[in-house]
Amino acid sequence: MVSHTPNMPTGYEAKCTRCNSVIYKKSCFDPAGLLALCIAALIIIIPAFYFPLISIHLLGITEETNLLQGALMMVDSAPVVAFMVLFCAVIAPTLLISSIALSSACFTFNYHPRYLPDILKSTGFLKRWSMLEVYMVSLMVAVFKIMNYADLYFGIGFYFFITLLLLDLIIISNYSNQLYWEKYLNE
Amino acid sequence: MNKNVVVGKTGLSQGLQLCKVCSHYSEQITDPTHCPTCLNKISLRKKNSLQKTWALLITAIIFIIPANLYPITYLLKNSTLYPDTIFSGILSLVDSGMPGIALIVFVASIVVPLLKIIALAVIAFSVQNEWNLDPKKQLIAFYLIDWIGKWSVLDLFVISIMVAVFDKGHLLSIYPGLAATSFTLVVIATLSAANSFDTRLIWDAQTDE
Repeated sequence: MVSHTPNMPTGYEAKCTRCNSVIYKKSCFDPAGLLALCIAALIIIIPAFYFPLISIHLLGITEETNLLQGALMMVDSAPVVAFMVLFCAVIAPTLLISSIALSSACFTFNYHPRYLPDILKSTGFLKRWSMLEVYMVSLMVAVFKIMNYADLYFGIGFYFFITLLLLDLIIISNYSNQLYWEKYLNE
Repeated sequence: MNKNVVVGKTGLSQGLQLCKVCSHYSEQITDPTHCPTCLNKISLRKKNSLQKTWALLITAIIFIIPANLYPITYLLKNSTLYPDTIFSGILSLVDSGMPGIALIVFVASIVVPLLKIIALAVIAFSVQNEWNLDPKKQLIAFYLIDWIGKWSVLDLFVISIMVAVFDKGHLLSIYPGLAATSFTLVVIATLSAANSFDTRLIWDAQTDE
């Protein structure tokens, strides 16, 4: 259904007359702010993935587990599962934040490289496969399961991961692919 | 862009196409294959949307059978192997007094995939056979399955954490089973099926209005 998009103040949404879905959302354009958030997230990503999320005390040994280990240990026995876990929990979020950082940087510093449309296009794809919030709930489920078998402690990585998740959610809710395309095409 | 665009009529009837990448519209006659604004591929409707959705749905239906019948994890405890299917894992959670967690896992790994397959199949059937179901209800159902879809990955993440934590050789270890791979394929297939379905087809199939 063809609809006319009126000029709206920031924060308003235009909806389709036929199905009532949002077709246009006027959000504030703040590439510098998003760039700052992305850089913060990219710094946090390293300890969040590398430091132990949880450590368990079992059979007299204390063992620590980080986010990458779980996926990498399954590469031999179940490569498809390992790839899916790696992609949705590590690769997609990292690339998503990097691509938003890159496009925000381009707009902040008024720099228009030829690959900018490709970045905008892949951001839309990565957004669907980035599942940090699902990982958080999975971690809680796993924690309750493990508590049956062993003593469990949260590691430093866990707190970094929560911070990363919050930053990731703020970035995604403030980023608008449509708006970035509009700015790119207008300049 | 041009003066002939009428608001309130479908783009399809006016030969207008919307670019899925940059959200700009253009005319089918002047730009039949590529969007003039961002140079990505463009068409009036997603190409072969129903065929792709059906193909992926059938894949999901095939793989959901081994995913539920075969063991999803093996627990190796004192050199004895204990297989666990999705359902027996949920039952053992209930037995160990965690009905809340059992419910989360039950919803994420049994209800969500089944609901997605059934709902998408009903919508695709009604589009194909012009059943004239309420389009708004169909769209709400579609948005719901699109949103809950990613939560079925939950069980895979849980497996990856359990495998990493229980790594004590013959004393206590957990290994992923055949069902884990099948379940991954179900998740990928249903996510892609929802993504390849073009919601505008729901309205195209409405015959009386």
